[in-house]
Amino acid sequence: MNNWVIETKGLSKLYRGRYAVSNLNLKIKKGDIYGFLGPNGAGKTTTIRMLLGLIKPSKGSVHIFGQPLEKERLSILRKVGSLVEYPSYYGHLSAIDNLEAIRRIIDAPSAKIDEVLNIVGLSKDARRPVKGFSLGMKQRLGIASALLGNPELLILDEPTNGLDPSGIQEIRELIKQMPKQHGITVLLSSHLLSEIELTAGTVGIIRHGELVFQDTIERLHRQAHEQGTLSLVVSEPEQAVAVLQEQGLGVSLMNNVILLKHIPDAAIAQAVKRLVERNHAVYRIEEKRQSLEQLFLQIVGEGGRP
Amino acid sequence: MASFLRLLASERLKLSKSYIWLLVPLSPLLSLAIGLLVSLDTMDTTWKYGNYAILVTAMASFHAMLFLPVLTGIFSAFVCRYEHGGGGWKMLLSLPVSRTALFFAKFTVVASLLAVTQLLFLAAVFVAAAYQGIDGTIPWRLLLTGIGGGFLACLPLAALQMLVSVGWSSFAAPLAINVALTVPNMLIINSKTFGPLYPWAQPMLAMLWYGEEDFGSLALPMENIVITILGSFAVFLAAGLLYFNRKEQA
Ligand SMILES: Nc1ncnc2c1ncn2[C@@H]1O[C@H](COP(=O)(O)OP(=O)(O)OP(=O)(O)O)[C@@H](O)[C@H]1O
Ligand SMILES: [Mg+2]
Repeated sequence: MNNWVIETKGLSKLYRGRYAVSNLNLKIKKGDIYGFLGPNGAGKTTTIRMLLGLIKPSKGSVHIFGQPLEKERLSILRKVGSLVEYPSYYGHLSAIDNLEAIRRIIDAPSAKIDEVLNIVGLSKDARRPVKGFSLGMKQRLGIASALLGNPELLILDEPTNGLDPSGIQEIRELIKQMPKQHGITVLLSSHLLSEIELTAGTVGIIRHGELVFQDTIERLHRQAHEQGTLSLVVSEPEQAVAVLQEQGLGVSLMNNVILLKHIPDAAIAQAVKRLVERNHAVYRIEEKRQSLEQLFLQIVGEGGRP
Repeated sequence: MASFLRLLASERLKLSKSYIWLLVPLSPLLSLAIGLLVSLDTMDTTWKYGNYAILVTAMASFHAMLFLPVLTGIFSAFVCRYEHGGGGWKMLLSLPVSRTALFFAKFTVVASLLAVTQLLFLAAVFVAAAYQGIDGTIPWRLLLTGIGGGFLACLPLAALQMLVSVGWSSFAAPLAINVALTVPNMLIINSKTFGPLYPWAQPMLAMLWYGEEDFGSLALPMENIVITILGSFAVFLAAGLLYFNRKEQA
């Protein structure tokens, strides 16, 4: 039961009579990269704030490393590196001093500062006051801060916010190697599926504060596949539709193209056989796969805003 | 305790690269100017506490009545300002630190800045005394009680200002509140009823010894001041800690 690095039960947060997060049961495995997805205002940041003890849940519980957050906050946070929403910084200090201010608190070795600056590619600008940094550079500094304490768990809220494409790529590679090289578990939030598709092992999708999907990325791929359609181009489409309907298949006709819901291979073979038996010429069979992004949009779009 | 000292070391770093230090010598310098310009001859030099008391009372008039309480607010707002500005609170509180320890670390910084201010004031008194040619033994007891008392009297104000500054991301609003609470000092100085009860008047009561109506700490029972200072300190500090520990860190 304590295999989960993060486990929440019924986690909820009420803001002005509305649930920003409602009944969330997150389960995050050790060594996994967990992509926490949802559109703007879905409740990602609110959830992450609760995971870090910045705000108190209205209901439910958080266990991290198998320990209750409420009671063991300090010992849990010693092993957590985090970046919440937009990066935090002291503008009047240089990047080095920003990290030093944190280092003094968590008592990390001094050498770690150079190391993390190097990792995020800020060594060159390390002595400039941070108020002169671009958003992307501040974001990098935020990631460096999160890495400073050699965390076992990284919680990153939209870490690629404000980064340029090559920066996004860089940070993505960096995050990807965390579990492999250091055994670190990563919780990564984003509002773009494409952002985490190449990184995450598990995906949790949150919509209006509710978790509407939580499974492996493979499972999400399979679901996208299953929601694809088949299109058939035949010689006499109208009659063909009747033939297929006889077999109990859900069919529709659009621009003389027959559209079929995703069905197992055997059923396709059977359908084609029947058409051929009835002297229909089958010109073309195409599978239209749903892209992950479409599936994601469909998942988060369902129901609309209450 | 170790974690408190580490927090303090971090606060020191954040402060060392800031301009707040420029504010520290301001009031002592102004007091020094008064000390150099004041004419002691017009005063009743037969007063039992002597010329030192007269000099200190003159020098501390603005310092204790206005500047010290106002600086307390500025220092408190300042140690919170750089957290409000760059999202520092949420980062600090995501680190393994207790909120109580963090509150005390910042409070300690404010207290240290006030202590340095008071030490500079003491130095200013010596310079002015030398310039005025006051001789005789230095009344250490009197000086240290007054200046130390002024420092202690600021601690309740610091606790309250920390509470306001933690809660309010604006820099100016807590200062405005502080000034609004300090200005009545000018009226309260003449009130024997309210003076001893009003927290913002305590630095003044501790440091101003000489007055036309024999008013000031030497004319008041010591317990009076101590009770007001300790009482308000306990209330304001408890409120600050309670508030900070419960605050939702958005
Ligand atoms: N302090 C607060 N007071 C009231 N409502 C809040 C507060 N913080 C968040 N909310 C509400 O909670 C909901 C979830 O917000 P949250 O910031 O968690 O979304 P998010 O998923 O992080 O969105 P984004 O992708 O824009 O960062 C929103 O409707 C927001 O308005
Ligand atoms: Mg967010």
